[in-house]
Amino acid sequence: MTGLFAQIAVTGITIGFLYALIAIGLTLIFGIMRTIQYAHGEFYMLGAYCLFYWFKFLGWPYWLGVLASAVIVFSFGVVVQLLLFRPLHGKSMLYSLAVSMGLIFIISSGGLLTFGTVVRGIPKFIAGGTRIFGAFIAYERIVISAVSALLVLGLWIFLQKTKTGMAMRAVSQDPDTASLQGINTRRIHWIGFGLGSALSAVAGCMMGTLMSIIPTMGFMATMKAFMIVIMGGLGSILGALIGAFLIGFIDSFVTTLATAEIAYIMGFAAVFIILVFKPAGLFGQEWED
Amino acid sequence: MARNGKIKMNEKNRIGAVIWGIVVALVLLMPFIMQQNKYMMHIGIQMSFNVALATSMWLIWTLGFVSFAHAGFMGIGAYTTALLFLRLGWPIWINIWIGALLAGLVASLISLPLMRTRAVYFFMASWAVGEVIKRIFAMFRQFFGGWDGLLFILPPKLSFLGLHIDFSSRVAYYYLAVVFAMMVVFLVYRINRSRTGTIFWSIHEAEILAQHVGINVLRYKVLAFTVACTFAAMTGALYAHYHTFINPKSFDIWVSEFALVHIIVGGLATVAGPVLGATVLTAVDEALRPAGYYRVILFGVVLILTVLFMPGGLESIPRRIRALAERLRKNEGGGSKDATT
Repeated sequence: MTGLFAQIAVTGITIGFLYALIAIGLTLIFGIMRTIQYAHGEFYMLGAYCLFYWFKFLGWPYWLGVLASAVIVFSFGVVVQLLLFRPLHGKSMLYSLAVSMGLIFIISSGGLLTFGTVVRGIPKFIAGGTRIFGAFIAYERIVISAVSALLVLGLWIFLQKTKTGMAMRAVSQDPDTASLQGINTRRIHWIGFGLGSALSAVAGCMMGTLMSIIPTMGFMATMKAFMIVIMGGLGSILGALIGAFLIGFIDSFVTTLATAEIAYIMGFAAVFIILVFKPAGLFGQEWED
Repeated sequence: MARNGKIKMNEKNRIGAVIWGIVVALVLLMPFIMQQNKYMMHIGIQMSFNVALATSMWLIWTLGFVSFAHAGFMGIGAYTTALLFLRLGWPIWINIWIGALLAGLVASLISLPLMRTRAVYFFMASWAVGEVIKRIFAMFRQFFGGWDGLLFILPPKLSFLGLHIDFSSRVAYYYLAVVFAMMVVFLVYRINRSRTGTIFWSIHEAEILAQHVGINVLRYKVLAFTVACTFAAMTGALYAHYHTFINPKSFDIWVSEFALVHIIVGGLATVAGPVLGATVLTAVDEALRPAGYYRVILFGVVLILTVLFMPGGLESIPRRIRALAERLRKNEGGGSKDATT
């Protein structure tokens, strides 16, 4: 019995870290730009496919592929931000919702056309595993969790210590005052958007390694990311981290012990209940629009 | 949002009434124009459903909210009528009202906590509501039929004053759906023009100010949400009896998303927006059906282009043309004056 629970807990931690990467990416975009990025999951899907084609055509080392995927999706995100989201800055959130919905249509259908409708897999970078408390843990999962944790930590340090990072926090707290202090908010916007998309792409790469990839997988990620980010409060990285583990544990525990259906309902119910008692999420700022 | 004031609008109102009259006449004559072509009737029915959904969602938008719970409430209406029909054999004419009542009850209860949230938080919370409703249908396999859904929800028959109408005929169902959609549009239009509608817009514009002039904001929010969800549930009932089968996937988040797309492409300012958007996009959607995934891509492109280059939507086209003509005339006048002096 402890073996089962340990197994579930390990799965919860791995999934939690990956959800955290996606959700922190989204919360960065949310906090900095104050626009709805409904197509966040599509960047996650693109990241996974970048890695897939990296292996198919080049076959070079795994982590180099993850880096390449992050760089490609970062650039794509920057282009999307400059072309589509910048003109909408400061307008009603409905418009950014609409534009990102259009992006979902384009990217996911384009993905189905170019990548095919078949489920594919990314080769594992490390085989084998170990046994702890009767739970079998693949080395792969350990490495993935460690890398995700390092990325979250790195982002935290980036936001706390570097000049750009501090500028990002300033913009997300108060855009007007930040720009009065001489911060180039437009630059921060595209950096933030690219960075958020890249984080999501890295999560896509690793989730693709653990499971399989298909061009329609993006929407699921969007859904989870929204649940987590809204639960934690917009723009709050700590909130996103806590929310990610909450959803990750609900997913792994309830799916194993009951059904996936109940896990979904419980996840949404958790979001709903938190919003009822804290209308701006756990650590969020009230967002007037 | 630019809402037309009531002053100096008499002439414009008359033109609007004439246009609406022509549209209604055309819609009612459509089966004869199309020579009762079954496929065309099908598109017409589909359009009516989409118009009803988009218009009722627009009613929530007049308060400044984007609700993604719409598909879920449509599902409540559909499942109510389906279950009552299949288990008890009751006709749709009773079931549709029970479904509407049930959906209204659920909507008013759920909107009390829901309306505490704002903007994106509301968007997510309503999304959660819609998704939970859908998943509950999927979870109880015994009662709701699980993911397989419910089958054999036959179209209704009506015997009235010696008149026997069998709604399994496309033309008859077309009239049913169209009359329903018109009713929804008319009611939403009336609500929007009434004092209540003005209050909705005032909450949209400045919620805190509205509160301070003595408007019970929560009550109006609950009212708008409940009315809109009731309409959605009635659409769902008609949808179920038309398609004769329903499953949780029929009430997916995509249904709400497409209703929102219809509103945005059509225009946000008046009730003509959702009507136009739903009609035009449904037609385009059907016309492009053979194009497969390219159709969805085109949808995305149209949506993005609309938002970036025509934020007023389709309904703003006449205004734009008029403004353009005005400017041309002015330029011409100005130009000639310059030439003479």
